[in-house]
Amino acid sequence: MYQEVKLELIFLLPIFLPFLTAIFLFLNKKLFNELITNFFTLNSALLSFAIAAYSFIALALDKFKPVNVELFQWISNPDISIGFTLDGLSGIMLILVTGLSFVIQLFSTSYMEKDENHCNYFVYFNFFVFSMLLLVMSSNFLVMFFGWELVGLSSYLLISFWSKKPAAAKAGNKAFVINRVGDFGFLIGLMIILDTFNTFDFYKILQNTSGIAESTITAISLFLMLGAFGKSAQFPLFSWLPDAMEGPTPASALIHAATMVTAGVFMLVRISPLLQHSKIASLLIIIFGLITALLAAFSAINQFDIKKVLAYSTISQLGFMFIAIGAGAYVAAIFHLVTHAFFKALLFLGAGAVIHSMHHEQDIRKMGGLRKKMPITASMMGIGTLAISGIPPLAGFWSKDEILASVFVNGGIYYVFWALTLGAAFLTAFYMGRHWLLIFEKDNGFEHSDVTEAPKAMTRPLLLLGVFSIFIGFINTPFFHGLEKVLHVTLENVEVTHLPKGITLVVLAVLSIGAGFTGLIIAFLLFGLELHKRIDLKKFKLESPINLVKDLSSNVLYLNKFGNLFFVSGMKNLSRKVAVVVDGMLIDGSVNFLSTAFNKSSKITSTTQTGLVRNYVVYFGLFLLLLIALFIATPLVPR
Amino acid sequence: MLEVTTDWYLTLAAILFSIGFLGMMIRKNALIMFMCIELMLNAVNLTFISASKHFGQVDGQIFVFFVLVVAAAEVVVGLAIIVSIFRKQSSASVDVLNVSRG
Repeated sequence: MYQEVKLELIFLLPIFLPFLTAIFLFLNKKLFNELITNFFTLNSALLSFAIAAYSFIALALDKFKPVNVELFQWISNPDISIGFTLDGLSGIMLILVTGLSFVIQLFSTSYMEKDENHCNYFVYFNFFVFSMLLLVMSSNFLVMFFGWELVGLSSYLLISFWSKKPAAAKAGNKAFVINRVGDFGFLIGLMIILDTFNTFDFYKILQNTSGIAESTITAISLFLMLGAFGKSAQFPLFSWLPDAMEGPTPASALIHAATMVTAGVFMLVRISPLLQHSKIASLLIIIFGLITALLAAFSAINQFDIKKVLAYSTISQLGFMFIAIGAGAYVAAIFHLVTHAFFKALLFLGAGAVIHSMHHEQDIRKMGGLRKKMPITASMMGIGTLAISGIPPLAGFWSKDEILASVFVNGGIYYVFWALTLGAAFLTAFYMGRHWLLIFEKDNGFEHSDVTEAPKAMTRPLLLLGVFSIFIGFINTPFFHGLEKVLHVTLENVEVTHLPKGITLVVLAVLSIGAGFTGLIIAFLLFGLELHKRIDLKKFKLESPINLVKDLSSNVLYLNKFGNLFFVSGMKNLSRKVAVVVDGMLIDGSVNFLSTAFNKSSKITSTTQTGLVRNYVVYFGLFLLLLIALFIATPLVPR
Repeated sequence: MLEVTTDWYLTLAAILFSIGFLGMMIRKNALIMFMCIELMLNAVNLTFISASKHFGQVDGQIFVFFVLVVAAAEVVVGLAIIVSIFRKQSSASVDVLNVSRG
């Protein structure tokens, strides 16, 4: 008992430490120079990671029995309280967020050097970490919603950090507005939950799912799914994420790779006891995940912005996580979330290092041949590329293979889903191979004489993440189900899809490795050896289809334009009409009519006010006569 | 010999009131208009007193005292206004003072 109480108090520290750091830095931002800011923010991040690790170990020794701490009860009926929980799921997220936050802040100290708002950046950064921890550590939907909204706010602040650039300000707005669409679904889901269960507490809700009608569960799942789609940038709410690349690159690494966008995945795994009862919601999640994974992977193959490729890749990988959730493989989803967090943070930070060395040039067509100039960055990015492509034994292979196998094992229509997922995995390897080759290998005829390796504060985080990207996959392999043990208590009553046994698993693994290798080899043939230039494309009549694919890819199937035309322009036209008809004619018209009526009538009556006393006396006399006439007509005393 | 009845007094009061009212309507000298108001007030006083005598009650006479007091107060204020008008335009005509016309 004593130990439990101690843990309860301790695991709150990493949540509120970033918050206090943010406030502290904000209050002293005029006072602190860059060095002192870095000192405080790095130490705070390291401390909160250390405490998080301690809490996680303590939790592991206690066999992942959830630790709940209720700070206070807000309302007793319905039961709403402010509380936090530490179990396997939130423990993993706690370690992941605090750990990556430290590594990325280390990188940021160098990347954001000599920025005029250096201190502000770390204020927002710490505030973001706090919001994210609030989201993942909550023991009920209310606190989760607070975190959910604060994450939206702080991501807005970070995306439009360089708000002097109009594109950055716009991107921040776009992210915020599209997230609102998802949040609206989340909020409605919460209302239905409160109406059905009369509480927000995860434990109480998720233990009592048996007596609830399936239609209610489906409604809850669908609305929460909409929220997850917004936050995790799933089709059709994904277009904010590529635009969000306007923010500082380390912030992109944290928000758009490791933490914020995984909030939707995390939330759906959290409600998995509900979700497993709704076949429709699961099916929709896997379908939308599949669309997202394929669409984003397809869009990534002809992007030329170093960060946009990674952004579409993030969307696509998030699609993989949603596929896993839809297939009931919640452990695989979290597993892929963890591995993806590491290799995508690695890729983003590597991209940051390249951008830094290239003096803020982001077009990969102007790079090329950087491998000799930046060997560490190139090799680390290479590891990241191999990891995301699913090459064993790197991290991405284990998690992606587990997702593929879990989809396959469901049978029936899921064979189709499996084939499509495999296609997305192939595309992933292809565009990531292209990305790496265009940046580091292909000679584009640029000199890059002034490009040097990034400073040590940048390469060290890269090396660290590179090591993790290689080895983090071993936490959950078919031979060692580490993550499953961690999540065991959290997913106690959930039917988790398990991997197939024996030869099927081997065949599936070989196929997924094959897809990865094929993608990389084709990328190498096209962009390394430039095979397409040696073949006469016109002879095979391939030129126009290839150009069509290129065009569709770089324009994201024209979905943005369609959305712009349909929602933005349509809305604008509608609101313009409303402004003219309803506001201009109806409301303004009635108000104006009233005022002119008063004006005209008062003009008429005011002509009687001549200013001459004699005239007033005449009126007075006339009314006196009227009064007398009234008296005569109606006797004062009734008979 | 004709007997002087209440009707006579009432008629006299009505005539006095009408003269006062007519004066108010046609004259523009502030001082004359003021006198017309006094005339009307006293016509009303006469009505009160004759009615009081007719019904044998003192209520009307008490009212007359009130009217006298109010009239005295009004004279104080009114004459002050007239003096200030006179200072401003060196005539007591009220027709010039039509700034509050609509």
